[in-house]
Amino acid sequence: MKLAKTCAAIAATVLIATAATGCGTAGASGVVDTNADKGLAVLGDHVTYDPNHLVNDGQPIEIGYWSWGDASTDPVIGMLHEYEKIHPNVTVKISQVAWSDYWVKTPLSLKGNKNAPVLFNVHNSQDALLRPHMEAYDIDTADLEADYTNVDLHVVDGKIMYIDSVINTGNIYYNKTLWAEAGLTEDDIPATWDEFVEVAKKLTKFDGNKMIQSGFNMNGDGRYDGLWQGLNYQRGALMFSKDGTVANYDCEATKENLEFLRDLYETDKVSSVKFGDNSEQSFGNGQSAMIYAWGALQGTLETKYPDIDYGVFPTPTFSDDVPFAYDRYNGESTPGINVHQSEEQRAVAQDFIRFLLAGDDYVRSAVKLQNSFPGKKSLQDDSEILSNPVMAAIKPRLDRLIWPGPVPSTLESSPKIAFQNVIQNGQDIDTAVATAQAQIETDMKGSDFVSLESKYAHIDEAQ
Amino acid sequence: MHNTTLQRIFSMRNIAVVALVGYFAVFMAYPIIKAFAGSMHNWNPLTDTYQWVGFENYAQVLTDSLFWKSIWNTAVYSFFSVAFRVIVGLALALLLTSKLVKAKSALRGLFYMPTITPLVAVSFVWMWMYDPQFGMIDKVTGLDIGWLNDSHWAMPAVIIMTIWKDFGYATVLYMAGIMSLPTDVYEAASLDGAGKWQTFWKITLPLLRPTTLLIVITSLITYLQAYIQILVMTGGGPGTDTYTISYLIYDQAFTKYNFGVASAMSVILFVLTGVLTLLMFKASGDKLEESR
Amino acid sequence: MNTATGKKISTIVITALLFVLAAITVIPFIWMLVSSFAPNSEIVKITGGIFPTPSTLDNYTGIQEKFNFMRLFGNSLFVATIKTVLIIYFSAVLGYVFSKMHFRGRNVLFGAVLSTMMLPWAVTIIPQYDMMVQFGWLDTYRSLIIPGLINGFGVFMFRQSIGGISDEIIEAAKLDGASDSRIFHRIVLPMSRNSIAALAIFVFLWNWEDYLWPFLMITDDDKQLLSVGLKMFSGQYGTDYGGLFAATSIAIIPVIIVYMLFQKQFIAGIATGSGK
Repeated sequence: MKLAKTCAAIAATVLIATAATGCGTAGASGVVDTNADKGLAVLGDHVTYDPNHLVNDGQPIEIGYWSWGDASTDPVIGMLHEYEKIHPNVTVKISQVAWSDYWVKTPLSLKGNKNAPVLFNVHNSQDALLRPHMEAYDIDTADLEADYTNVDLHVVDGKIMYIDSVINTGNIYYNKTLWAEAGLTEDDIPATWDEFVEVAKKLTKFDGNKMIQSGFNMNGDGRYDGLWQGLNYQRGALMFSKDGTVANYDCEATKENLEFLRDLYETDKVSSVKFGDNSEQSFGNGQSAMIYAWGALQGTLETKYPDIDYGVFPTPTFSDDVPFAYDRYNGESTPGINVHQSEEQRAVAQDFIRFLLAGDDYVRSAVKLQNSFPGKKSLQDDSEILSNPVMAAIKPRLDRLIWPGPVPSTLESSPKIAFQNVIQNGQDIDTAVATAQAQIETDMKGSDFVSLESKYAHIDEAQ
Repeated sequence: MHNTTLQRIFSMRNIAVVALVGYFAVFMAYPIIKAFAGSMHNWNPLTDTYQWVGFENYAQVLTDSLFWKSIWNTAVYSFFSVAFRVIVGLALALLLTSKLVKAKSALRGLFYMPTITPLVAVSFVWMWMYDPQFGMIDKVTGLDIGWLNDSHWAMPAVIIMTIWKDFGYATVLYMAGIMSLPTDVYEAASLDGAGKWQTFWKITLPLLRPTTLLIVITSLITYLQAYIQILVMTGGGPGTDTYTISYLIYDQAFTKYNFGVASAMSVILFVLTGVLTLLMFKASGDKLEESR
Repeated sequence: MNTATGKKISTIVITALLFVLAAITVIPFIWMLVSSFAPNSEIVKITGGIFPTPSTLDNYTGIQEKFNFMRLFGNSLFVATIKTVLIIYFSAVLGYVFSKMHFRGRNVLFGAVLSTMMLPWAVTIIPQYDMMVQFGWLDTYRSLIIPGLINGFGVFMFRQSIGGISDEIIEAAKLDGASDSRIFHRIVLPMSRNSIAALAIFVFLWNWEDYLWPFLMITDDDKQLLSVGLKMFSGQYGTDYGGLFAATSIAIIPVIIVYMLFQKQFIAGIATGSGK
C-alpha cells in the first residue's frame, strides 16, 4: 500500500500548498469619504458631471479596469487616477492584458469570473463578443449627440454601450530627408494618385537591378488590408451590398485598384517584393520614402525610430473632384461597463463614465496618446490639436470619411491574401479577388453583421 | 486469505486503472466530447451561440480548397521536421555519448540552447535572420533569396527553423535511451569482431526502436499542431503558401470565432493523427496484445 | 601506439567539429542575448553589423517596472516544480501499468491517454475553462496543477522505457513475495533514472513556458506566473523586441539550471553501471 500512501502524501502537500496560496487579498484599501461638497467646478456642456457628491456613500470600494494598453497608450488610465483623487474612497485596480489574448480572456471572464473588472477597454472590431456583457451608459442620448460626433452609429436598440472618443484614418507618411535629397519641396505634395506615382518614382533608387530605396512601400501588414477600403470608397464602391449583409470585395473597383497597385511594383517600380516584408520597419530605417499608415504609426516611430524626420499628407485621390469618401475611419472606443458586476461597482462605473465624457481632458489626452482626431465637437477646432499634422490632414475631410461599422476581421485578412497572391505569387487578379470573396462569404456565414454604410451622409452618391 | 483478497482488489494495477479512468472521465472526456459535439453546431462560446447544423461544418471544410492546401502543407512540414529531428537528434546523441568526444557536458549544454528558448522569441530572431535586406543568412552566404516572402522558400525556411529549435528534444531522449542500453550485448558484439557500422545497424538501432517510436509519434503529433512559428514568421503567407491545418484551426477559432468550423477541422485532424499513430505502432512491431 | 594516436587525433577533430557546429547552433540565441542589451531602435536598424550594438540595461530594468518580476518568478518556480514532480511520478506509475501489466482494455485506455494530445488546444480550451468555472477553481493553483497531471507524452515515454526492463527481474521479485507497488518503487523507479531525468527536463520546460492556460485561469496579479507577465511585451501595435528578449533571457535561466542538474543523471547512469 506504499503507493497509496505516497499518493496521499503528495495530494496532501498539493492541497496544503494550494490552500496556502489560494486565499487572495480581498477587500478594498481605500479610505471613507465624508466630504461630499469639495467645491469643485461642474464639468461639461450637455453631458455634465458634478464632482461634489459621494460615490458608494463614501464607503471604500475597489473597481477594476482591464486594458491592452498602458498609461502611455490608453487615456482612460490617467483619468481613472484623476477620479481616485476626487473620490478618495475609490481604489482603481488596473490590469494590462496583451492585445491578442485580450479578446480571449475578456469575454470569457466577463461571463463567468467574479474577479472580472467592472470597466474594460473596448475595441469596436470585437463588438459582437463584448456587447452581450455590457451595460448601457446611463446618459441621455440627446446630450451625448450634442457633445460628440457619430453617436447615432452606436445606438443599438435605443442603448449606447460605448461611443468614439477619437477617430482615425489612413494618411501618407513621408520621409522629409529623402524628400529633400530628391529635390522635392512642400509644393510637390501630390493631390492625385498620378502625381503621387511621379513623386514616388523620384524617391526610388536602384543599385543595378537591386532596389535600395523604395518610393512607396506596400509590403507587409497594415498596408493593403487598410488601403483597399479607402481606394474602393474613393471610386464610390461600397464594402457591402445595399442591404449591408453581403461583402462586395469582388467588384470592378477592387480590380482596378489592384491593377494600379501591381503597376506600382511592376511598371512604375517604386516598390519591390524583395524589399522586406515590413514596410513600417523599412520606413523607420529610412529605406522607404513613403508609406500609407494610420495614426498609430507615430507611436511606433517615436519608440523604435526616433531619428526619422517625417511628415504627413492626406491620401491622394484619383481625380481632383471630391470623391464619394476619402477613406474609411475608425473610432477608438470609450470604456465598457460589465453588466455582470455588482450593483455598487456598476454605479461607480457609471459615475466614472459621466466624469470621463463631461470633461475635455479625456479626449484631449486620447488625441495625444492615440494620435487621433477628437470625437468631441468642442475640441474639433482647437488650434493646439490642429497643429499636429495628422489632425490637420484629417480635419478638412471629416465629412467625407465613412465608417462601415464593426467589420469582421476577414474583410482585412482575406484581401491581404489576395494582394500577396497577386503581387508576390503572380496570380491573376480575377482569380485572387474571387478567391478572397469566397473566403469572406464562407467566414461570414452565420454572422449577423449589418454594415452601417447606409447611415453615411453621402450614401446616395455611391455607385 | 482475507488479506490477500483485499490486496488483490486494491492492487497497484487496479488503483491506477480506476484512478486513471476516473480522472479521464472528469478532466479529459468532457472537453473532447464538447469538441466533437461542437463540430455539429454553429458554435461561438464567447457569445453563447450554439445552434445545431448537422454536418454542414464538415461539408464546408471538406469542400474548401484552402483546407486541402493546408493539409498538404502540413504533411510536407511534418514529414521533413520529423525526419530531420530524428536523424539529427540520433546523430548528435551518438556523438555526445561517444568516447571519442571530449567536453561533452559543455557541448550538450550548447546544443540544447535552442530547445529551451521560447518559440515566440526564437521566431522573431529567425525572421530577422531571414530578412532579404539585412538578414544574417543572405549576408553570410551571399544568397539573394526572399525566404519568408518567396513562395518556394517560405515553407523550407520555417522547416529549417523548426529543426533547429527542436532537435534537442530528440537528442535528450536518444541520450537517455543510449545510456540505458545493456553493455553486455556490445561486449559480445565486439568479441564477435563486429565493426562499428555493423554494431550500429544490427544492435544499437534495433535496441533504440522504442525510443525512436516515441520520438516519431510524439513529434508527429506536435508538428501536426504547429502554428506559432507560422503565426509569427509568415502569417500563412505569401498568399496561403504556408497555411498549416493548425494555423487554419487557430485562425478559425480565435480570429474568426467560428468554433464549429474549427472543431470540425480538429476532429478531422484528430482522426488523421490517430490513424497515423496506429500505423506507426503497427509498423514498428510494437506488441499491442493485451489480456493474458 | 598508432591506433592510440589515431584515436586521439579523431577525438580532437570530432570534438572541434562539434564545437563549430554548436557555435553555429547558438548564433540565433546569442543574437537574442546581445539584442536584449540594445534599444529597439538599434535592433531594427539595418545599416549596422550582423549583431546589434549592446549599449543599455534599460530592457532589464524595464521588466521590474512593468510587473513584480520576483513575485511572478517565485510563483512560476513553485507551480512548475510541483507539477514536474507529480507528472513524473504519475507518468512512471502509468508507464509501468501499461508496459508490464495485463488487463482487458489496456490498449484502448492507452490510446485514450495518447489521444488527449491529438486535439488542438484551440477547441478544447474553452470547454476546459467552463469546467474550471463550474468547479470554482479560477484564481487558484488547483486549476493550473490538477487538470494537467496526466501527461500523454510522459506516460508514453515511461511505457517505452519500462518496457525495456526485462521481465525476469520483475518475475524474480514477485517470487520473493514483493508486491507490485514494492517492485515499482524499489526496482522499476531506480532503473528508470534516465527517463526520469529526460522527462524532468521537458516537463519543467513546458510548465515554465506554458502561457495560455495560466493566463486564462489567473487574474489576481499576486498569483500570476512569469510566462504571462512576459507576454505584456507584445502590444496592439507591434512588439517591444528589446523587452521581450531581455525577459526571455532571464526566464530561461531556471530551465538551464534544471537541464544541467538532470543531464548529469545520464552520466551517473553509466557510472553506477545500471545496465539492464
